[in-house]
Amino acid sequence: MKYDITHTTKYTYSEAVPVCQNLVRLAPRSLPYQSCHHFQLLIHPEPFELDQRHDYFGNQVAYFSIEQAHMGLTITSKSEVEVHPIPNPEDIATPAWEEVVLQLKNGRTSETLDACQFVFGSPADHEQTALTEFARQSFPPGAQILAGVRDLTRRIFKDFEFDSQATTVHTPVEEVFENRRGVCQDFTRLQIACLRNLGLAARYVSGYLRTIPPPGKPRLVGADASHAWVSVFCGNAGWVDFDPTNNTLITTDHITVAYGRDFQDVSPIQGVIVGGGEHMLEVSVDVVPEGPPLR
Amino acid sequence: MSTAQPPATDFFNSYAPQRGAFDELFQDETNVRPHGQPFVNRVNILGRDEFSRRWEMAQHTIQENGIAYSGYATPQDKPRPWALDPFPVLIPASEWYTVSDALKQRARVMNLVLRDLYGPQTLLTNDVLPPELVFAHPGFRRSYHRQIVPYNCFLHLFSTDLLRANDGHWWVVGDRTESPSGMGYALENRIVISRMFPDVFHQCRVERLATFFLQVQETLRSLSPQQRENPHIVLLSRGPTATNYFEDLYLARYLGYTLVESGDLAVRNRKVMVKTLGGLVPVDVILRRRNSDECDPLGINPASHEGVSGLTEAVRAGNVAIANALGSGLVESSALMAYMPRLCQVLLGEDLQMPNARTWWCGDAQSREFVLNNLDGLVAQPAFRRRGQDDATFESIRSMSMDELRKEILANPHEYAAREKMSRSTVPVWQDGLGRSNVALRAFGVGTNDQYLVMNGALARVSSGPESLEVSRRLGEQSKDTWILSDQPVKHVSLLDEPERPIPLRRSGDDLPSRVADNLFWLGRLLDRAESTAKLVRATARLLVSEADVSSLVELPMLIRCLASQGQIEPGYALPEMRDQLPPVEDVLPHVAFDSSSEGSLRAVLNELCRLGSIVRDRLTRDTWRIIYRIDERFRPFERGTTNLSDILTLTDNLLIEVTAFSGIITESMTRTQSHRFLEMGRRIERSLQILDLLKHSLIPLPERPGPVFRTILEISDSLMTYRSRYLANFRLGPVLDLMLTDETNPRSLAFQFLKLQEHVDYLPREKTQPGFSTEQRLSMSLLHTIRLMDVEEIAERHRLANDGNTLLALVEDFELRVPRLFEAISLFYLVHARPAHQLAEIAPN
Repeated sequence: MKYDITHTTKYTYSEAVPVCQNLVRLAPRSLPYQSCHHFQLLIHPEPFELDQRHDYFGNQVAYFSIEQAHMGLTITSKSEVEVHPIPNPEDIATPAWEEVVLQLKNGRTSETLDACQFVFGSPADHEQTALTEFARQSFPPGAQILAGVRDLTRRIFKDFEFDSQATTVHTPVEEVFENRRGVCQDFTRLQIACLRNLGLAARYVSGYLRTIPPPGKPRLVGADASHAWVSVFCGNAGWVDFDPTNNTLITTDHITVAYGRDFQDVSPIQGVIVGGGEHMLEVSVDVVPEGPPLR
Repeated sequence: MSTAQPPATDFFNSYAPQRGAFDELFQDETNVRPHGQPFVNRVNILGRDEFSRRWEMAQHTIQENGIAYSGYATPQDKPRPWALDPFPVLIPASEWYTVSDALKQRARVMNLVLRDLYGPQTLLTNDVLPPELVFAHPGFRRSYHRQIVPYNCFLHLFSTDLLRANDGHWWVVGDRTESPSGMGYALENRIVISRMFPDVFHQCRVERLATFFLQVQETLRSLSPQQRENPHIVLLSRGPTATNYFEDLYLARYLGYTLVESGDLAVRNRKVMVKTLGGLVPVDVILRRRNSDECDPLGINPASHEGVSGLTEAVRAGNVAIANALGSGLVESSALMAYMPRLCQVLLGEDLQMPNARTWWCGDAQSREFVLNNLDGLVAQPAFRRRGQDDATFESIRSMSMDELRKEILANPHEYAAREKMSRSTVPVWQDGLGRSNVALRAFGVGTNDQYLVMNGALARVSSGPESLEVSRRLGEQSKDTWILSDQPVKHVSLLDEPERPIPLRRSGDDLPSRVADNLFWLGRLLDRAESTAKLVRATARLLVSEADVSSLVELPMLIRCLASQGQIEPGYALPEMRDQLPPVEDVLPHVAFDSSSEGSLRAVLNELCRLGSIVRDRLTRDTWRIIYRIDERFRPFERGTTNLSDILTLTDNLLIEVTAFSGIITESMTRTQSHRFLEMGRRIERSLQILDLLKHSLIPLPERPGPVFRTILEISDSLMTYRSRYLANFRLGPVLDLMLTDETNPRSLAFQFLKLQEHVDYLPREKTQPGFSTEQRLSMSLLHTIRLMDVEEIAERHRLANDGNTLLALVEDFELRVPRLFEAISLFYLVHARPAHQLAEIAPN
C-alpha cells in the first residue's frame, strides 16, 4: 500500500519569539516491510540552520533554529511511503517467554544487545508491582512469547476504555492502570511497562494509522492523527508490533515513523523558545492512500 | 627564635595511635614515622602557646574568607565555615608517586571506557561489561553517544577517593568523573595552613599545588576548537544556591575564567555565546560544574528546565569543547568498580596498579547471591550515582533493616552494589587538645588521553568514626591539608609564571554578563540603602539617649516619620495620635533594627546586601568580600544581656565605618569597567531616592522651629561640616536646599547624583550606528537639566512664605517619578534580555 502523508503543526504566539530551537522526528523509517520513497520538511519561517541526522535508535532527526523574531511557526512534513504486507508471525513457533528473557540477559549479538536496552525504561521509569501482577496473568510459565503478548494486548483492549479526555501527555502509567482509560499512547506505555517488568524488551513506536471512512462517507482531509503502538522482541521471530488500541498486529494501515524507549525518545516535535507569551497549537495529519483518484 | 629545644615528643606525647590500625604519623605507640619527624620537630619548637595563637589567627582567616560549602541560599541560611584541622596529613613523595601512577592508569581506563560506550560499544559486544550495566544506568543518555570531543577524550578532570587499610596499602573506594569537586577546597586549605606554618612548610619541602592548576589551564586551553592562543574559557556554575558555589567562585578566580550560570549562555548558529552588556560573545571551552543532564533542555533532558538549549548541537558541530565531556559521569558508578580489574586488562593489557575495594554489582546473578548472603560484612551502595541524591540514598539504605534491604535488592537488583567493609588509617586532630580521627583522601587528576597529571596533594577529610566517611560529604566533618613531602628541594611554581604568550591589550569590559551587571547594580543600591538606613537609626538613637527632654525635640517626629516611611518601624509611629498607643520608640528601636523578618529593617537591608555580595563575589576583591563579611558578622545583637540604645549607637557607628570602607574600595580600587559602572549607577539611583525621601519627610510641611531639623538632615546627609564652614550656625532653608539639591560639588547632593548618572549612562555600550540619544540617555539628561535650571532661593522663599509645601512637594514628587523611570530604562535595555526559555507544548498521539 502506498501513501502520501502530510503532517502539519502550527504554533501561533501572542508575543514575538526572537529565538527558537527545535528537534523533530517526522521522517518515516525505512524497514524491510516499509520503504520511504520521499521525505520533505517544510518550515516557515525559513530556519537559520537545519541539520539532519540519525539518532541513537536510528530515527531520522532534524535540528533547526530560527533566529529572527517571529509570531508563529509552521512545520509541515510530506512523505511518500510504501508499506508491504507483513509476514504473519503466527506461522512461526516462538520460544517460551522465559527463554527470551534469558536471551536478552546473556546474548551478545548486535540484535540482542540492541534489544537489551529496551528492557530498561528511560530514567523516569520504575518498578510497579501491581503492573507485574497484571502482566503475569498473560504469561504463565512456559507460555510462548507471542501467545503471551497477544493475550496481553487483548486484555488491555478489553479492560481499558478509549477516552480522549481522561489523560494528558504527562499522565503516569500508574494512573492509567488505576482508572482503566486513556488513548493509544497510554495503552502503549502501559503494555510496555508490563512487558519490561517481566524482563522482556519492548519499544515505543510512533507512526500513523490510516483511517478508513465509514461506507459511503468521504475521507475527511486532515482528520487523521499520529498513532502509537508497541514493538516486542520475540527471540527468533525478531520484533513483532502490536497495536493495543485496536487489538491487532500491525497491518499495512500502520506507517512507522520512529522507535524509542518511550514517547520522549520519539517525540515528533520538541522545541525551546524564548518569550512568545501564550501559544496556540494546531495539528493536522493527512494519510492519503495512493490508488484510483478519489471521486 | 627559641633556643631551648623541647623534647621531640612534647607536642604529640599525649597522642595514642589506635592499636592495630595504621596511623599516618606514628609507626607505633611512641615513635613518629621518619618522614613525619621534621614536621613534629618544627611544631615542637613552636610550642603550644605559639601554636594556639597561630591556630586562632588561622581560624579567623578561614571565617573571614568564608570558605563555605553552601552559598547564602537565603539570608537566614548562614554558610557553614569549613571546619579545617591544623595538622596536615603527611605522605612521603616516593609513596605518593606510586599512588599517582596508579591513579593515572585508572583515569586512562575510565577515559577509554567512556570512549567505547559513547562510540562502538565493543566492551558490550565482547562481553567485557554486561549490557545492563550501561542500559540500566540513568546517566546513559542517548544524546551523549557519538558526540564530537577534541582528541576523542572524554575525561579531563577526575578525582578518586582513597583509604589506607590496616596493612598500610592505599585502596580506591570511589571515583568522580562527572565534574569532580574539592580541588578548590584543597587549594584553600593549603593557603590557610601554609600561612599558619610558613617556617614549617618551607623546611618540610612540601610539593606545590600550583603545578596541578597550571596543568588544568594548559589542558583546557588545548581543547579550544580553533586552537586559539587565548581561548575564551568559562566556568559553568550551578549558581549561588548550589552546594559548591564558593568553590566555583574560588576556582574561576584562581584560574582566571569567567564564571557563568546557564542563564548567561545561549546557543546561536550552533555556537555557544555569553550574553553580555555588549552583546553575544562566543565561548570556546566550558569548564562544566553542572551535571550533564541539566545542561541542555532540548538535546538532553526535556524534563529539566535548566541548562543551555542547543548545547549538544554546538558540541556536535565541534564549535565548543566541554570539560568534562557531556556524560562523563557514566563511569563514576560503584557498579563499574566491580569490573575495573578486567577493564584494565582488556583496555590497557595491564594489571590494575592499585586495587579498588572489592565490589559486587547486584545486577549480576552470582554477585547478587554473594551480597545477599554476606550483607552483614558489606557496605551496600546505590549502583549508579544520581548526583545530588547521594546523601539521601545512602541515608535510606542505612535506615533499612537487613530484611528490608534484602527485599529491596531483590526487587531492583540493578540499582544496588556492595563493597567490603574496610578500616581506615588514623591521624592526630586538634580540637582544643589532641584527638584521633579516621582519614579519607580525595586525590585529583587532570589531563587528556595518555597524559594525566595527579595533584601533589589532596583533600583529606577526617571523622571520629570511619562510617561517616563512606558518604561523600556530611555535615560536621573536618578537612585537612595534605602535604606530599619531597626528599629534594621543591621548585617554586606559580600560576603567574606563565610562558610568554602574546596578549592583546584590552580595556573594555563589555563582556560583563548581563545577570552579573544586574546583581552589581542592586549591590550598589543596597550599599547606599544600608548607609542611609544606618544613619537614620544612629541619628534617632543619638537623640533618644541625649539629655534633652524627648517631647521637646522637634526633629524627633521627623526622624520617626522617615523611619516609618522606610518600614523600619511600624507606620503608626508617624501619626501622633497613634504613637501614644504604641510602646515608646526608645524601647522598640533596639529590637526592630535587628529584626530580619521585617523587610525595611536595617538587619534585613544588610542581609540582602550580603546575599548580593556573595552572588557577585567573583567580581569583588578579597578585601571587599572581607568587609561584607564583617558587616554581616558585626551588626548583631549582643549574645548576653539586652542590647540597648547606646549599644545601637556603637554598632551603627562601626557599621558606618565598614560601609565607608566599602565605598572607599569601590572608588579607589575598582577598575572603571562596566562592573564599576553598574555598581555606581545603583548607588546613585538609591542615593537620589534617599535624598528625596528625607526632604519629603523633614521639610514638608516646614516645621515651626526648623533649625534642629535642618541640622539633623544635614548630618544624615553628611553635609553638616560643609554647611558650617560656609554659613556657621545660621540654618536657613535656601542654603540647606542648595547643599542637598543643586550643589554639584557636594557628593551628597541630588545634582551630583544626576551628573554621575548621566556620565555613566553615556558610557554604556550601544550600537554606534543608532542616530540620536537612547531612552536612558534622554532620561538622565533631562534629570540633570531640570535640577540645573532650579532656582533654590526662589523655591525656598516661596516655601517659607506660603509653607503649603506645594512647590517643593511637586518638585520632589516629580523626581520621585522620574528617577525610577531611568532605572527601568537601563534595566529594560541592558539587564532583562536574559529572559528565560521554555518548552513548546508537545503533541501526544491519540
